[in-house]
Amino acid sequence: MIREENTDSGSLLQGTLEMLVLKALARGPQHGYAVAEWIHHVSHQLLKVEEGALYPALHRLEMRGFLNAEWGASENNRRAKFYRLTAEGTKRLDAESQRWARLSAAVAFVMQSS
Amino acid sequence: MLPAISAFLGRLRSLFRGRRMESEMSEEIAFHRERLREKYLQEGMSEKAAERAARVRLGNAQRWQERLRELWSFRILEELTRDIRFSLRLLWKSPGFTAVGLATLALGVSANTAVFSLINSLLLRPLAVPQAQQMVVLSTQEGAPQPGYSFCTPFFRGLEGKGDVFQNVFAFVNDTLQVRGESGNVNVHGVMVSGQYFPAMQVKPVMGRYLTPADDQEGGGSSGFAVVISEDFWKTWFNGVPDVVGRSLMIANASFTVVGVIPKSFTGADPTHHPQIYAPLSADPIIDAPRDHLHGGTHAWWLTVMARLQPGVDLQKANAALQAVSTGVLHTSTGEADWIKDEEQHHFHFAAEPGSNGFAYVRSVFRKPLLMMFGMCGGLLLLACLNLASLLLARGAVRERELATRRALGATRLRLIRQLMIESLFLATLGTGLGMALTPIVGHALAAMLSGGSGPDSMSLDISPDWRLYGFAAAVAFIAAVLIGLMPAWRATEGDLNEQIKNGQHAQQQRRQTRLIPRLLMISQVALALILVSGAALLATSLVRLYRSGLGFDPHGVVNISFSMDKQQLDGEPLMEVYRQIWDGLKTAPGVKDVSFQFVVPLSHRGWNGHYAAPGGERHLLWLNSVGPDYFNTMRIPLDQGRGFTWSDTKSSGLKIILNRSAAKLFFPQGGAIGRQIVDRDKVAYEVVAVVGDAKYRDVRGPAAPAGYVPMQQDSQKKPSLSAVVRVDGPWQPLVQFSRELTARLVPSIPAPVIRPMDEVVDTSINTERMMALLGVFFAGCSLLVTAIGLYGTLSYATARRTNEIGIRIALGAQRRRVMAMIFRENAVVATIGCGAGLAVAVSLSTVLTSFLYETSTRDPWIFAGATFTLVCVASAASLLPAVRASWIDPMQAIRSE
Repeated sequence: MIREENTDSGSLLQGTLEMLVLKALARGPQHGYAVAEWIHHVSHQLLKVEEGALYPALHRLEMRGFLNAEWGASENNRRAKFYRLTAEGTKRLDAESQRWARLSAAVAFVMQSS
Repeated sequence: MLPAISAFLGRLRSLFRGRRMESEMSEEIAFHRERLREKYLQEGMSEKAAERAARVRLGNAQRWQERLRELWSFRILEELTRDIRFSLRLLWKSPGFTAVGLATLALGVSANTAVFSLINSLLLRPLAVPQAQQMVVLSTQEGAPQPGYSFCTPFFRGLEGKGDVFQNVFAFVNDTLQVRGESGNVNVHGVMVSGQYFPAMQVKPVMGRYLTPADDQEGGGSSGFAVVISEDFWKTWFNGVPDVVGRSLMIANASFTVVGVIPKSFTGADPTHHPQIYAPLSADPIIDAPRDHLHGGTHAWWLTVMARLQPGVDLQKANAALQAVSTGVLHTSTGEADWIKDEEQHHFHFAAEPGSNGFAYVRSVFRKPLLMMFGMCGGLLLLACLNLASLLLARGAVRERELATRRALGATRLRLIRQLMIESLFLATLGTGLGMALTPIVGHALAAMLSGGSGPDSMSLDISPDWRLYGFAAAVAFIAAVLIGLMPAWRATEGDLNEQIKNGQHAQQQRRQTRLIPRLLMISQVALALILVSGAALLATSLVRLYRSGLGFDPHGVVNISFSMDKQQLDGEPLMEVYRQIWDGLKTAPGVKDVSFQFVVPLSHRGWNGHYAAPGGERHLLWLNSVGPDYFNTMRIPLDQGRGFTWSDTKSSGLKIILNRSAAKLFFPQGGAIGRQIVDRDKVAYEVVAVVGDAKYRDVRGPAAPAGYVPMQQDSQKKPSLSAVVRVDGPWQPLVQFSRELTARLVPSIPAPVIRPMDEVVDTSINTERMMALLGVFFAGCSLLVTAIGLYGTLSYATARRTNEIGIRIALGAQRRRVMAMIFRENAVVATIGCGAGLAVAVSLSTVLTSFLYETSTRDPWIFAGATFTLVCVASAASLLPAVRASWIDPMQAIRSE
């Protein structure tokens, strides 16, 4: 689903990609390419989102009502599909990030114990 | 919105905008690719390399669409449409198979739904009134196994006021009313109803009001007699004028006021009659003049009585209440003391039974034949399904390799079964649809057959489809689909994949086991066909014997022309003079050979009887008829001794009677009846002037009853309405116009005379037998055809699979005759076992036909032998063709083709 460039960082938990996508879109409407680029950039090139996972995730989120999609002009003036977070999507992002925070803290506790 | 609901709606939307979504998806991916390419260019790649890298990274555009579409689509639905398309293509590719399948199914379904529509309208459909389940039919019980449904006025009036368990108790009687039109009187179908009839029905009139208890009084309501008319009658008779309420109608020469119009949806308490006029019961002495049933006391049993239960009262309570009042009503009925005592000894009491679908006399007559017919139709449909199943099975065997390959490629077994089931569902649905389209035609034909043509007792059945019929058809389609498809689908997809692919066409393995089920199917088909054929043979034999039994008169070329004389002014000698003028007139009509008159038309189920005795002898029941001069010659009833009646046998010339042979033998066993006398109950003496041959009186079944004939002029009845019997040479149709003109000239006030050929009367009297035999033979023919197709089809498929093997056999020197015998034997075994099983079932089932058979044993060995022989012939013919074809296989070609 997500391929890390550093293979030793372990596989991420399922649903994480959707959370990352929601997070990327929290900054405002974006098209798929920008979402992938943003995640790649912000993760310090550690996370690389594969298109084969990204688009199904986007469509799934759209279908379930967390995202709205509309066609608009991209930065270089080409027609592109922009995704925007819905109110449901914002709520979902909050819930997911809380869950993630708890989970990563718990994992950190376990890993840091001596 | 919940994510699941949102997803569902999204998928639903995508169903309707599939094309647009696809183009949007590819555009989205194209945009991504473009951006990637730009990025690679910026990173310093060459134009070509960037293009290539972007393409490689995103992969095949087709696959993208597939993946995203899958997300948005209902998977099952998608697969389903694909399966349906595939099934249609397959069916289209084998038009012969499809046509045969559809035709047999359509036949079975249309027969079934048509009979069901009759059953529905006659037995199932409730009255079109609110809370129909509250309706009950009242009857009288007097120890006989069958309750009586006819009431006399005193009984009905005695029950009418009992309001503690019933909201209303009401009575009605179907009748023919003489209504004056522009050109003389016309017969209109109507019903006389008691005051509580409409309050019980709770129907709102289209306009005006309905009849109330105030209308059902001696002499009618405050402003004379009132009638309610049907919506149809309003439209046809009154041309739908808006001010019809208040207009008057002349019925039986008396004035009636129209007070209301009843909507079309309401057809009365008898579902088999659609009355045009509803008149109050109290008008009976006028409407039925010169007869008067209303004041006939306990001698006129003319009413059907129904009631509406009080809310919350059940049948048991109602019956208890009726039982409690029975004795009281009986005693106040003013019957003779002897009779009351006799009734009491037989535990006389009233009873109620469910009446939500009204009361129809014909129900008791047609229930059994209809259910019988339903059984036959069911058999035919089952046969059609079995046939299709075995054909599909045979075809499935041919498709074995295709299915095995598909399974090897990853199709689940369930998926394949589903696809095969869709195929059969398609056949079933199309077949049912076709059958439904044919249903009205078949249904009307059956209803016409059942109701007995244009006779006076004909009934009108409303066989328009309703939810019951549609539900039934849907159930038939579903069951047919399962019957047809499940087994072949199951069989076709089981078994070892490797073996099937390896063996392909010349699959030899486990022949015995895999061929057991198709054989069982064919055996049951043959057995079912034999049951239908032998049932039909029994019915047909009985009908032929019935026709051959001899009526005692010759109905061919005889027509009855009935004149309704009861409402005109003349009676006695002057009326007889009119009849004589009609007689003279009819004799001049073209083609007429003989003319006479009769009161009772034989075999019309009307009757008139009395008890007579020879002086000093015992009293016997004698069936009577009053007839005109030249009657026996006209009817071709042989005159053994004595003379026929003449116009001079008047009231003043002394009472005369003519006996038939049975009656003469009964009264004068020693012979010599001529010139002797017999006396009736009132000691009135009649002189026997002739003995004539026995003729059937009321019923074709059974021997002729003892009967006597009296001269029409000596009939004590008031204003007798006689029928002219006319023997014609050639077509009788010109007589319609002729007799109409004759009547208009001689007695202009009576309705146009009704003409019925005697043949039709005879046919109608054995209607049930005729219909059952005709349908039985038709169904048997169909079942033979279907079985032949099945035997031929399955054997052809089976031989086609063995082409290779047979080719080798022939190449190795097998004689062609031996090959033929080998193939033929396959079906011979099936047919023999099927016949055996069918015969056993047919013999044990045939007893249900007993009541429909005339002088025909349900165990008649000749009939069963004949049926079996017919079936064996058909089966042999159907099996011979594939066998012969197999024997002509060219070994070189057969072996090379593999």
